[in-house]
Amino acid sequence: MQQQFNQMAEQIKEAAVDQKTLQIVGGGSKVPLKNDAELLSMAAYSGVLSYEPSELVITVRAGTTLSELHQVLAEKNQMVAFEPPEYGNSTIGGTYACALTGPAKPFRGKLRDYVLGTKLLDGQGRELNFGGKMIKNVAGYDVSRMLAGSKGSMALVTELSLKVVPLVEEVTYRIEMPECDAIVLMNQMAGTSLPLSGSAYYRGYFYYRVMGAHPKQTNRVGVEAVDNSIWQILNPFKPVLQPGQKLWRLDVESTNPCIDGTLAVGMGGTRRWISSKNKPEHPYVTLWDDRFLPRHNDGKGVKKIKQGLKKVFDPHHVFKDL
Amino acid sequence: MSVIEALKNALPKASVLATEEQCRPYECDALSAYREKPLAVVLPETDDQVKQVLRICKAYQTPVITRGSGTGLAGGTLPLKNGIVLGLSKLNKILKIDPLQRIAVVQPGVRNIQVSEAVRQYGLYYAPDPSSQIACSIGGNVAENSGGVHCLKYGLTVHNVNSLRVLNMDGEEYIFDEKDDGVDLLAMLNGSEGLLGVIVEIKLKLLPKPEAAQLVMAAFQSVNECAEAVTAVLKQGIIPAGLEMMDKFSIQAAEDFAQVGYPTEAEALLLCEVDGSHDQVQVDAKRVADILTAEGAYKIIVSQNERERVALWQGRKNAFPAVGRYSPDYYCMDGTIPRSKLAYVLEEIAKLSKKYGLRVANVFHAGDGNLHPLILYDANKPGELAQTERFGCDILNLCVDVGGTITGEHGVGVEKLNSMCHQYQGAELEIFHGIKAVFDDTGLLNPGKAVPTLHRCAELGHMHVHHGELPFAHLERF
Ligand SMILES: Cc1cc2nc3c(=O)[nH]c(=O)nc-3n(C[C@H](O)[C@H](O)[C@@H](O)COP(=O)(O)OP(=O)(O)OC[C@H]3O[C@@H](n4cnc5c(N)ncnc54)[C@H](O)[C@@H]3O)c2cc1C
Ligand SMILES: Cc1cc2nc3c(=O)[nH]c(=O)nc-3n(C[C@H](O)[C@H](O)[C@H](O)COP(=O)(O)OP(=O)(O)OC[C@H]3O[C@@H](n4cnc5c(N)ncnc54)[C@H](O)[C@@H]3O)c2cc1C
Repeated sequence: MQQQFNQMAEQIKEAAVDQKTLQIVGGGSKVPLKNDAELLSMAAYSGVLSYEPSELVITVRAGTTLSELHQVLAEKNQMVAFEPPEYGNSTIGGTYACALTGPAKPFRGKLRDYVLGTKLLDGQGRELNFGGKMIKNVAGYDVSRMLAGSKGSMALVTELSLKVVPLVEEVTYRIEMPECDAIVLMNQMAGTSLPLSGSAYYRGYFYYRVMGAHPKQTNRVGVEAVDNSIWQILNPFKPVLQPGQKLWRLDVESTNPCIDGTLAVGMGGTRRWISSKNKPEHPYVTLWDDRFLPRHNDGKGVKKIKQGLKKVFDPHHVFKDL
Repeated sequence: MSVIEALKNALPKASVLATEEQCRPYECDALSAYREKPLAVVLPETDDQVKQVLRICKAYQTPVITRGSGTGLAGGTLPLKNGIVLGLSKLNKILKIDPLQRIAVVQPGVRNIQVSEAVRQYGLYYAPDPSSQIACSIGGNVAENSGGVHCLKYGLTVHNVNSLRVLNMDGEEYIFDEKDDGVDLLAMLNGSEGLLGVIVEIKLKLLPKPEAAQLVMAAFQSVNECAEAVTAVLKQGIIPAGLEMMDKFSIQAAEDFAQVGYPTEAEALLLCEVDGSHDQVQVDAKRVADILTAEGAYKIIVSQNERERVALWQGRKNAFPAVGRYSPDYYCMDGTIPRSKLAYVLEEIAKLSKKYGLRVANVFHAGDGNLHPLILYDANKPGELAQTERFGCDILNLCVDVGGTITGEHGVGVEKLNSMCHQYQGAELEIFHGIKAVFDDTGLLNPGKAVPTLHRCAELGHMHVHHGELPFAHLERF
């Protein structure tokens, strides 16, 4: 593995000299390759480096698949709290690079909340370490959380240390109701002490998931207990679309009223999946298809900062554009 | 015209303090060992005034040290002789509360505790609760990424902030929102110690107040046993809301001060709080008590009601002042370590204590590995402060050497610049300086704090300098 690490560092250094672009690819990549890009594959750079269940921390190589990660953790009755969607061979590196988080986001937090440290190769092929394995660490800027979502444009992430949590028992309930009522109800419920770990609206039903010991929900009017499969349907959400329709992901305030064309509401109301031909008029919209299309909704100032940061990490522009 | 005159022209009279007497209270933060009188202190009342101050200071090339409540423990707000202190305590309004959406939008000068007080009527609260919460500002919390007793379960400040409005040195406004795509700038602003921008508005996430909470107090005959017991609790799948450990010295001091019934003969004391729904808390409190008993606790008290729970916390909450009574001064360190190294680290600290001839009390956020050794000293004894600082630095290096870090929650400020050289190498520090330059190319925002110059680390012998050639040779060295 050390040899592979050195090779990756060499590949970056050479690309810097030869002015080539590198496309980092994790597992079963959904990334369209630019014609002139050279592949930098992470798939074989995998494996758990250290895991101490009682410290609630695991350190893995970035090419480790999510399924391997889940399995190792489950053996010790633990899990990653952010429930990343699994698309085939998704790697933890690709998931981190895309900052992908699942249904428990409003309740347990998002991917970056569980990142404690990273090891990177920057655009000069230098090995860098940020953060560490501690749950609390405020020494230096929080680069390891900042790079969550960087999509292979800043640095090659080689290792990740993640905070893990105990596996919990979860039960899902549903109630039949109109979407607009469900949005209000999911917000109301999130303000109570019921230990929620998911709430969503899909095809006429409001779904919610509860962790651990809790008052019996089936006493409530219209509530039925169902299995937990709905959370897999929504994460990753892959609906069958009509010809000409596109799938859009909208991030909104949790109390945002119903939006036309909604196929599903997730993450406590903050995530809306919309099918439409045209881009919905909304500040935080991502086209969701099998190609990697980053969203560009940054204001002028923010864009300048991101471009500045790219230069800091990747001065020779070895990695692809932001 | 001088910068002070320019500021006086632009702001209400009461907002610019420039006399010796007026500036004195701003000479230091809660790390009072370092002091410096600033050129002036400016206390704007509106965002627009903050913008004007920044523009004026930019024009005059005057450094700006942003200050919240000044409760920082790492000298992050230490003024510069030629700089102004930008105090944000008058920007203290809660702008919006939306109970349905569970958010509050606040100005940076709002005190931490005010938020929970303002939303209590809705059954909500703001989770991060540094011990300084009655005084410290939300702006300061964000800048330090502060934590409290509840961190292990509810996270640090970074986990509880949804968006920030920030001004750069030109007075230009940025919004960093959790919904933004791409690199997570919001995360990086948390803990940036006033070096990247001035935070002027914060959207906070609110949580429902847990229905119930119960505290389990357990006494142990050895530190090791106590540390093992903590491990066992976490291994069994319980994430306590608070998990605090004290050593013998701290137990005795706390009991002497607060008389809450702590067993003073114990070598180590554990306070473990579980919270959540009534059902869950009942299950968890019993399980915790069972696990701790099995792990060798020789005495256990489980709080039976709210009054008992609050009373049992009083000793821990007053541990710092309690220990402080034994000495004219004390110095609070803030390293983190893997829990498995606790017994070793405490032994090493005891050795260092002998070596330096200074007493130490240990209070420990056991759940997340955050150690707070309190070094007792007397500032009036010549040389004792310098000894204390060296002792502190040794402790932080020790934390790094066992796989931990030099600061869990207090920040680097000016205090831990040397220790940063132990934790980070040249290339990482270069990146940090690069990040700073992207946000603040003037270098006027809180200069000299949080990230050591490469020169400094080289002098300390932690960096390899080849033929006297330093990376970033064009950067000012001081
Ligand atoms: C806008 C968008 C739309 C998506 N749409 C779909 C979809 O419709 N269907 C679907 O199945 N999946 C989709 N995905 C999911 C995503 O591509 C995969 O789930 C990915 O995260 C799985 O990991 P991977 O290892 O296959 O990553 P890859 O697909 O190989 O890579 C994903 C991104 O991460 C970067 N990357 C990977 N590893 C590293 C590393 N170690 N260091 C730095 N950068 C790295 C890559 O350069 C790339 O930008 C989408 C993602 C995004 C961001
Ligand atoms: C008794 C006591 C107990 C404490 N307990 C804890 C604890 O349990 N956990 C913990 O984490 N800390 C603790 N602290 C440390 C301190 O309270 C925190 O660091 C707090 O967040 C500082 O807030 P402040 O408003 O006082 O900030 P200040 O001390 O005024 O400033 C701290 C830093 O933040 C920057 N800053 C402040 N406001 C802004 C802004 N609006 N924009 C940009 N930068 C800004 C300053 O430049 C400085 O670098 C404690 C301190 C004391 C005295």
